[in-house]
Formats: sequence, structure tokens, C-alpha cells
Amino acid sequence: MTTRSALVLGARRELGTVGLVAAMCGFYAGVLLVASETLRVNSESVGDVSAIGLVLGVVASVFIAVAVYVSAVVIVNGVDTVIAGRLKQIALLRLLGADARSLRGAVVRGTTGVAAAGGTAGVLAGVLTGDVTRAALVAADRLPDGGYALLPVLALPAAAVVTLAAAGAAWVGSRAVLRATPAQALSGASVPAPDSPRAGRLRRWLTVALIGSGALVLAGAAVLGESGNAIGFLAAALGAMLSGTGLLVGARLVVPRLVSLVSRLLGTDPPSKVAARNAVRDPGRTTRSTMGLVIGVTLVTTFAAGFAALRVAAASWDQTAAQAAQTDDILRHTSTIMICLVVVSSAIAAVGFVSTMSLGVIQRTREIGLLRALGFTSGQVRTMITKESVALSATAVGFGMGLGLAYGALGAQSLVGFQNDGFVWGLPGPVLAGIAVAGVLLVLAASWVPSSRAVAVTPVEALRSST
Amino acid sequence: MDSLLSFSSVSKVYGDGGPGAVRALDDVTVAVPRGGFTAVMGPSGSGKSTFMNVAAGLDDVTAGEVHVAGHPLHRLDDRARTLLRREQVGFVFQSFNLVPTLDVRENVLLPFELAGRRLRTDEHAWVEHLLEVLGLGDRVAHRPGELSGGQQQRVAIARALAPRPAVVLADEPTGNLDTRSSREVLGLLRTAAREYGQTIVMVSHDPVAASYADRVLVLADGRLVGDHDAMTPQQIAELLIGFEVGAA
Repeated sequence: MTTRSALVLGARRELGTVGLVAAMCGFYAGVLLVASETLRVNSESVGDVSAIGLVLGVVASVFIAVAVYVSAVVIVNGVDTVIAGRLKQIALLRLLGADARSLRGAVVRGTTGVAAAGGTAGVLAGVLTGDVTRAALVAADRLPDGGYALLPVLALPAAAVVTLAAAGAAWVGSRAVLRATPAQALSGASVPAPDSPRAGRLRRWLTVALIGSGALVLAGAAVLGESGNAIGFLAAALGAMLSGTGLLVGARLVVPRLVSLVSRLLGTDPPSKVAARNAVRDPGRTTRSTMGLVIGVTLVTTFAAGFAALRVAAASWDQTAAQAAQTDDILRHTSTIMICLVVVSSAIAAVGFVSTMSLGVIQRTREIGLLRALGFTSGQVRTMITKESVALSATAVGFGMGLGLAYGALGAQSLVGFQNDGFVWGLPGPVLAGIAVAGVLLVLAASWVPSSRAVAVTPVEALRSST
Repeated sequence: MDSLLSFSSVSKVYGDGGPGAVRALDDVTVAVPRGGFTAVMGPSGSGKSTFMNVAAGLDDVTAGEVHVAGHPLHRLDDRARTLLRREQVGFVFQSFNLVPTLDVRENVLLPFELAGRRLRTDEHAWVEHLLEVLGLGDRVAHRPGELSGGQQQRVAIARALAPRPAVVLADEPTGNLDTRSSREVLGLLRTAAREYGQTIVMVSHDPVAASYADRVLVLADGRLVGDHDAMTPQQIAELLIGFEVGAA
């Protein structure tokens, strides 16, 4: 990292999340590419259609793309959070003569460098893990010995994609650098500028259009499913993509409100009140740290709910007991595999969530010192931080579960609706319970460390600190 | 003795007592009686801030006793000190006084909320009176970020006075303000002391600020070296220069 980006971004530790997220994403891509390479070689050796190779490649690419997207959202948030905490220093640099563009460029280069290292290391580690696992399976005669490529063709491009996504994310996340004016170095705190009215209107319009058309297509898919039309499932996928994109675009309009609604349920005592305000302090950041989790939870719930619905539907079909057991078995295994494939995106989002919460608390050291001086006990400070974390993650988990249940059921309905009476749906109890437990663990992880740190600092030190 | 804040032989040493140790407070004994506006003066590094932090129970003493409103601060644990602070001490800092996510009224009412009690009718009237007198009547729904420095400091004063604490501690309350806002803030503090009988202890290095007080304590190198009645800015400045020259 150059001196300049070190000046803007501060300690390398603050970019640790970027490296970790890029590495997780790269590792996932590496493993997935080796798996799809293995399947492709095997299906060809059986003399199957060559189209299978293409399909596998597409499927792997889609899963990798989702993970890259979630990583990018996490990185945008990471960079934005780091910069928000350093606006004063950036303003000082501007005052001393640095121009905003080159400072932003420095942020992007610093972040991209970290992400490139993390992403490449992750991909190589993932490929290596995949190769070793495959070799072990071949040695145990579980897989035929074929001419597998040790390094899948797409491995290095995957590392490049991760790096490029990080660069783009750093660019988006560093927008605040441009808003730091030299005068801010001399005056007090800065307030994040709201969306310009025009941007706001465009966002609103796009959101309504995307969600509306997506909902229509989804409804159409459910109807097509009743008539057994093969187009139904494609329509469901398209509808989910449209409405999902709409939700992502419009999240900024809805999520902060949802979070503040949820946080109002936490109580009205001072810790809860301050926690509720902190949760929506910066609507952009609130939205991003929640949406990463929403995407993860939605994906897991969609697959779980979809397969649960299919299993419920299949149970009512006219088949022998042996057939029924076999169908259920296949569905159960496929469901597990799919959930394992998408759960990685949730893990990446969770890492981002923990990191944003921690950084946010560190940046509030002085404010917490003030609260302690005014009479917040250390217990109340802990409560405050935990409740903020609860407000954000409960909203994300609730939103994602609801969305996933709807998408999953609609997908199943569009596939097999014609074979069953009425609407096909299912409740994947164990998976929902698992998500809830993971949500609780996430809250604890995201609030325990920063709150311990916050109460370990005495009010005097906190009030004196420059951050 | 009817003193709200008393130090007896208080010392505060930073560091492990070796050659690098700093005696921020050195055997300070002083009593601040009920009512009145006391200024604590001294050049930077004289122990003013430490005096304030110790008086507020934000920092431990190395030796000696500190009593606030009859409570032995030096013997209380962190939680008890927090509660004492909540009930008996009001604060005005140099900067960063307000909780940025709460609006003006919420900031002023925070001490009551922390104590977990509703406002009595007379307290409610008192808060409204304060907001009005401090010229904040039409700004109660604003966030601190939307106010000027002087306005923010007035909100902090309202918050400090609202629960009628035993003592209000003000740490360089005009350090970040322009001349006009400074005079306003100092005038308000003096009024609070004279008209409402509020005990106020203000730490400052500014002779003009200290001239608003009716008692001036002077610290130098952690020792209490002066205890005077109200003085003019010129007198205070000369006094300080005398110590600086004497030390050199």
C-alpha cells in the first residue's frame, strides 16, 4: 500500500475484511470450478451429451457470480465505513492540498491490491483443496481416474473477476471521499448528504417497475405451473430475478424503515433508543449491511422452501412406496447440496456484518465516552450495542426468510403445480430453525467483541480519543 | 461542612511511580461550598483536566479523598460512580457534548431517562423554561448536527442544568466558540449560579472566562497555588503570567 492510501485508509487491519471476503469468495470459486470440471470430465467419459459441460459451467458461474456480488456489497460497505470514520483526516489532507480524485484513486488502488491478493490466494487454495479431495476420492475408487485438469481453465479468470469486483466496489464505496471538503477539517462533524431528489425519484420509479413486473411474471409462472407448461419455471426464475433486482435497487427506500420499525420493538429506555437511532444512523450503510444478509438468507430459504414444497408435492403423487422413498431421497440430497452451495454467500455477508458493526463501534469511541460520562453504566453500553445488532440482523433474517419462502414456493408451484391440487408450498422447519440459530450467533459475534472493547475504555480515555 | 465538592490531600500520579511518572495532582485540598461559580485556572499541563475528571469520578485518585454531595467518590466502584454521576453531576465539555442521534429535547431529557423516571410537573416546567431562556424553544426537534457551535453548547448547558444536579462541571466550555457565543455561554453559567443557586465548577485557561466566576482557584504543576475572590480579566492574566514567569 502506498503512503497515500495508508493516509486515507489508515491501518491495514481496517481493510482486513476486504482481504478475507475476497479470499472466501475466491476459495468458493476455486472449489466450485474443480467440482464442475470433475463432473464434466466424468459425464463426457460416460459418453453423455456434451451440452452437460456447458450447463455445469453456467450453473457454477451463476453461483460464483452470486458470491462475487455479495462480496462486492460487503466491500462497498467496508470501504464506506472506513472512510466515514476518517472523514476528518481526509478533509485535513484536502486542506493540505491533496485533490479529491487522487485520494479516491488511492483508496481504490489500496483496496484492489488487498482484494487481488486475497482473491488469488483464495482461488488457488480452493483449487488445491478441490484437487486434493478429488485425488483422495480417486484413490479410494469413489471416482474414476480421468484426465482431470489440475487448474480449471476458469480459475485465473475467477480471481480476476473477484479483483475487478473489489475495484468497482471500492470505487462505489469511496464516493464519500469526494464529499469531504477542506473546511470540514476545521469545523465539526459531517452529515452524510441525502440522495439528490432526482436520483431518489429514478430509484423509486425503477423499484416499482421492477418489483411490479417481477410480481406479475411470478404470478404468471404460478398459473403456467397449473397447466404444466415447461415455460413456467423459466418464468418463475425471471420473475424472481426481476423482483429481486427491484428489491436491491429499492432497498435503500425500505430497509431503513423496516429496521427502525423492528428497533422500536426493542424498548424505549435510553440504551434501546440510542441503539435504534444508531441502527439507522447512515441509511446507506444500514441498507448495505442488511442487504448482504438478506441475499444470503433469501437464497438459502428459497432452495430449502422450494425443495420442501417439492417433497410435500411428491408425497401426494401416485407412486409405489419404493418410488416415493427414492424420489424423496433424491430431493432431500439435492436440497442439501444446493443449500451448501449458497450458504457460502451468507457466510460472506455475515463476515461483512460483524466487521461493519465492530468498526462502527470503534468509530463511536468518543460518543460512548460521552454516554458513560452522562451516566450510562457499562451494562447499558453493552445492551445498546447488542440491541443495535439485533435490530439489523433480525430485520435481515425476517425479510430474507419471507422472501425465500415466497420464491421457493412459487418456483415449486411453477414446476409441478399441474400434478397437485392448489398451490404447492412447504415449510423447511429445520433450515429455518438453523437460520434463526445462525442469526442469534451472528448477533452475539457482532456485538460481543466491540462492546467488550467499548466498556474496557474508561470514559476519560474515550473522550480524549481522536477517533 | 456544607460543601458539595471537597478534595482532601488528593494526588493523582500517571505512570508507575518511577522517574517517568507525572504528578497531575499533588496534595490538593479544596472545598467548593453550595452555590456559586468557581473557576479553576492554570496553564496547560497544570492538572486542570485531571482535577475535573477526578471531581466527576471519571478517573481514580492515587491518594486522598474526594467527596461529592456527601458521597465518598474515592471509595465507590465504577457502577456506583456512574449512578452518582447520573444523579449529582452535570457536564459541559469543550466539544462533543451531545449525542448526535438524539434531537435537542431528547438530549436535554437524557439524564431523566437514564434515571428511569418521568418528569414531575415542576421539572417539566423547569425544562421548558430552560429551553426558552437558552433560546432553543424553536429548535427542540433539531439534531445537534443542524445547530451552530454556540447553540450546541447551550443545549449542553440545558442538559446539565435540567436535573438540578449538585454540581455542574464545565471543562473549557468556551474553548471551541467564537467571542460572542463565549460571552453568551459564560453569562448563562453565571446566571445559573446567581439566580438558580446552581453550583458550577469551570475549568478554563482563559482569563476572560474566569472573570465571570466569583471564585478563582489556580493550579500549577498539580498544586493548588491560588484561591481568590472574583477578579477582572487583567488581574487574572497578570496572576497567570506571574506563575509562568516564576516557573521559568
